[in-house]
Amino acid sequence: MRGRKATPVSRANDGADYGSLRLDRSGQAEAFDAIGDRYDEAFPHKEGQIAAGDWLIESLGPGSRVLDLGSGTGVPTARQLTEAGFELVGVDLSRRMVELAGKYVPGGTFHQLDLADLRPGGPTDLGRFDAVAAFFSLLMLPRVEIPLALRTIHHLLTPGGLFALSMVEAHVDDFAIPFLGNTIRVSGYLLDDLHKILDDAGFEIVKETSYTYAPAVADVPPEEQVFLCCRRRD
Amino acid sequence: MTEPHSPREGPAGTARRGGSPSGPAPVTPPDPGWDRVPLPPVPQTDRLQYLDVATRRIARGMDLDETLRELRWAAVPAFADAIVIHLHDPLPVGDEKSAVPVVLQLHSIDRAPEARTALLIPHAEYADVTERIQPVPDGRLAKLLLAGQPSFGDAEDIGPAVAELLGPAASAPGTLPQGRRLIIAPLHGRHHVMGTVVLLRRPDRSAFTGDDLLVASQLATHTAIGVQKAVMYGHEASVADTLQHTMLPSSLPEPTGVQLASRYLPASKTAQVGGDWYDAIPLPGNRVALIVGDVMGHSMTSAAIMGQLRTIVQTLAGLDLPPHEVLHHLDEQAQRLGSDHIATCLYAIYDPISHRLLMANAGHPPAVLLRPNGQAEVLRVPPGAPIGVGGVVFESVEMPAPTGTTLVLYTDGLVESRAMDVGTGVEALRTHLQSTRHGHRLSSLERLCDRILAALAPGPRDDDIALLTARFEGFPPDSVGYWHLDPHPLTAGQARRLTRRVLRRWGLDALLDSTELMVSEIVTNAVRYASRPISLRLLRTDVLRCEVTDDSPQVPRMREAGPGDEGGRGLFLVNRLAQRWGATRLSTGKVVWFEQRIPKEPRYHGS
Repeated sequence: MRGRKATPVSRANDGADYGSLRLDRSGQAEAFDAIGDRYDEAFPHKEGQIAAGDWLIESLGPGSRVLDLGSGTGVPTARQLTEAGFELVGVDLSRRMVELAGKYVPGGTFHQLDLADLRPGGPTDLGRFDAVAAFFSLLMLPRVEIPLALRTIHHLLTPGGLFALSMVEAHVDDFAIPFLGNTIRVSGYLLDDLHKILDDAGFEIVKETSYTYAPAVADVPPEEQVFLCCRRRD
Repeated sequence: MTEPHSPREGPAGTARRGGSPSGPAPVTPPDPGWDRVPLPPVPQTDRLQYLDVATRRIARGMDLDETLRELRWAAVPAFADAIVIHLHDPLPVGDEKSAVPVVLQLHSIDRAPEARTALLIPHAEYADVTERIQPVPDGRLAKLLLAGQPSFGDAEDIGPAVAELLGPAASAPGTLPQGRRLIIAPLHGRHHVMGTVVLLRRPDRSAFTGDDLLVASQLATHTAIGVQKAVMYGHEASVADTLQHTMLPSSLPEPTGVQLASRYLPASKTAQVGGDWYDAIPLPGNRVALIVGDVMGHSMTSAAIMGQLRTIVQTLAGLDLPPHEVLHHLDEQAQRLGSDHIATCLYAIYDPISHRLLMANAGHPPAVLLRPNGQAEVLRVPPGAPIGVGGVVFESVEMPAPTGTTLVLYTDGLVESRAMDVGTGVEALRTHLQSTRHGHRLSSLERLCDRILAALAPGPRDDDIALLTARFEGFPPDSVGYWHLDPHPLTAGQARRLTRRVLRRWGLDALLDSTELMVSEIVTNAVRYASRPISLRLLRTDVLRCEVTDDSPQVPRMREAGPGDEGGRGLFLVNRLAQRWGATRLSTGKVVWFEQRIPKEPRYHGS
């Protein structure tokens, strides 16, 4: 499984209603702090991710504001979008990843934040975006939080805004897996279920591509990657 | 072992030569001037000294040829000027009486330089001394052999025996010396005649005396004991050799994504049976374990221990443990076989899907990787301590294994000899691989094996050699489907849908119904016992392989299902529909898999 980006922390609130949900991020950011640069060595093939970035570039106007949720090392997506002339803001739960992204993509702005902090009425407001990219980051959340995260993304987008999402197809919830010498917890949906929660969260799917992907390390099994290009419906 | 013709301290009739033997010195006499001062002829102590040295030398021989060479060097020129040795063929092993008539085969002839023109001429060297004689039953030679006592050539009735043994050489004028200058001594073991020795002096040397006959008798007795010992040892070695061969894989598997080739060469001396082994074991998920090992020592025991270790490794491999854990458990098990068995072992796992190699080492010489660009690299894996030492921590090292790369695993016999230490040998192997021309690098692995052996082990070997080569071919990701699924009542349905989607993508519609049915049965069973997500994996090669892994160690058995019995029936179905199926216990649970042959000319819908 992929776990490339890290994510959120928060308390209850309206909009994307986290209610009394207790957010457990233990170990997730630490794993990525420890993995650092090795992440990109382990996942050298990023064709699907780059293609999804290209879709954003083709679809957005010049100077658009784009949020990279779980920006990781910033390579390739934050770099690709910065070079396309967008105003790029990156968010990651891992301090080490935010440092690396700042180094590799000097043109972007990066914050060490939890996605949940960005919910409507949450502690951090980064403004509205023309597009959000979330490549292999939402899968780091327990399943119960994923619809809430989608609502948050919906809230962060301007009407008609674009959302590029990638996930690993699986039916698991907060499943601990070995990952590059660390352990991370991941969740996943089968495609049909993913379509449904995107629809429920107010997204229209414009394009979908899936890849079978073989990571370059033995302790990460191959996986079915799915890239979804979506638009905020209302 | 090569040793100069040196220590030939002689008794009577010959000037003693100086020089000391290489290797352990035979008896240093108290008198420092002993080897320079010509002694007066034939004092009795001198004979005893000679015998002492000669018999020690003969006893030193480790095999047949060494024993007889020591006899020749001890006898010529110190005691005689020429020696002719015949051996019983075949040499009897053990105590059983052989039913076949005795046949004597010429083994060797040795002559002092001064005797070249005086003895056994005009028949140079081996010529015309009969190579193979079957003594006439009840003839003089047969009687002599039976009696077991040495005799002078001029004794009554001995002439015909000598003539029978030496053939035309004996009757040619000027070949045999006149007078008491020939002794024929049977080599008599505990129960059998082992052969004969003929000792000759040239005409201008003093004749043999009665005491010399006793000396010859002693030489013959010690030689016969040595020959018998060597025969027993050789017999053990050949049994061990056979044992060893039967315990090596008779053929290698042919897993998808990797080519394999291997060689096993026994040591040149049969007495040097080794405990080398290699193995290639298919693992779940199209990975393959590659193993090479070496039990220290050269004996039947080494070969037997090797067989046991190989079996243990196969069992551990079947549990799909990582390399360092395989070695850890192997080490534990090896200690149960006995405290004094030490072995080295290198265990690697190649994963053609992730293109990675995982390797751990227990004191074995390092593997060498030959890259497609011609670079050869010695893989620096922490060497660990050998198996059997106990309490050692092993470490698995992971590295990329790109398509086209060749892994070379071997035992120390390939890289170590009396003339070459391991470090030099490993570097020689690396250099050889690196110098392999492009075309040869890409030629078949069988040829690569032959080239390696021809370059690094051209001549006789002191040690056995095992060689295992693997060329990585990888596995295309678009032929793999892989999902984790939380176990719940709907999982079987999910698995069915995923299977259908992938089979359609692969154009395997013909297999849809049967595969969905089998996947559904196996997943239903897995979900019943699993506490963590199960995994479903589909692999397309020349067969369609489906694997369902769960965390329950309980391996399903096919059994007759009762009327209300939900389980059991599923496997009967799988057994009927699949070409092959199986269940393997893993360290973290189990995998149940099945394969179906892909119909010819499948209709591919895109990729």
